[in-house]
Amino acid sequence: MAKTTRPIIRIHNTEIDEVIDREMNDDEFAQYEADKAAEVAREAEAQAKATAKQAILDRLGLTADELKTILG
Amino acid sequence: MAKQTFTTGQVLTAAQMTSLQQTAMLGGEASAKTASYTLVAADAGTAISMSNAGATTITVNTGLFAAGDTVHITNLGAGVCTITAGTATVNSSASLALAQYESGFLDFTSTSAAIFVKGAGAAPSSGGKTLLSTTTLSGASTTISGISQDYIDLQIIIDGVTNATANGNLYMKINGNNNSFYLVGQTASPPGIYDNLTQQYLNGSNSAYSRTSANNTWQVTINNYVQATNYKPISVYGQFLDSGGSDAPVIMAGSVNANAAITSILFLNTGGNFSTGTVKIYGVK
Repeated sequence: MAKTTRPIIRIHNTEIDEVIDREMNDDEFAQYEADKAAEVAREAEAQAKATAKQAILDRLGLTADELKTILG
Repeated sequence: MAKQTFTTGQVLTAAQMTSLQQTAMLGGEASAKTASYTLVAADAGTAISMSNAGATTITVNTGLFAAGDTVHITNLGAGVCTITAGTATVNSSASLALAQYESGFLDFTSTSAAIFVKGAGAAPSSGGKTLLSTTTLSGASTTISGISQDYIDLQIIIDGVTNATANGNLYMKINGNNNSFYLVGQTASPPGIYDNLTQQYLNGSNSAYSRTSANNTWQVTINNYVQATNYKPISVYGQFLDSGGSDAPVIMAGSVNANAAITSILFLNTGGNFSTGTVKIYGVK
């Protein structure tokens, strides 16, 4: 069975100036996957907010630049 | 001069007498180093100077020195020089790290143990800024650990961050914790007040930065980073090229929501592996 290749991470121990590049361990890989999932969710939320904002602007008949002018 | 074994009837040379005089004045024969170094037996009684812009170490191993031997060490470089126990034991009532222009000496109490006696040196006790480390960002994440606890504030300069795969956000995790900050601020991409409180990214907005722009740069300052009871004030100033190609300055402030001293910082790029980027950490007194 082929060895699973996980992302490489760098650890710089500044106390002894030692730099180690190695594969993620189990905990680090789990956190890495969680971070990726959270990022996808955050981007989806941001996209939903942007869509909602644009819907309001469309309802008001304003462009984003016109809104900036009003708020500025 | 390095420790000698004199014999009966030996005639001392003028050079030997001059060197002995140096040693008697708590100096010693000079030995200049420009890279991390492991002590050898011939270093007994000498004065070693280290000069390097980056962090270095002086490693101490067992079986080379006798009780009563001393080695004087001075750091002339901008990078911190740390006295490191290899196979020997090294104890000190002070830090084993020498900032620029600090010095101290190893006082061997046996063949396998030494006490590091650190002098006050010329490093400022206040008002000074010392480069603690320079790290090249690499891989899926880069962790900077072993951060010196000898300063009051940390200033972190992050320069030229790019990655190999896609546009992304730059995460910064304190002591490995998720959502390390409470931050509010002003961003230019998209324009407006940014008030997403608990988070861990330095873009401060919902716009990813361009993966190829060497102009992605941030300065982060954390105050009172060693205290272990309260949150620590943090400020972030940055500039990145957003994924739409617009310059996007960002300014944020708030706190690091950690009640522990800060000993490590992890950087992660959600767009993929780092291609380039440098992190310099300064200690401020």
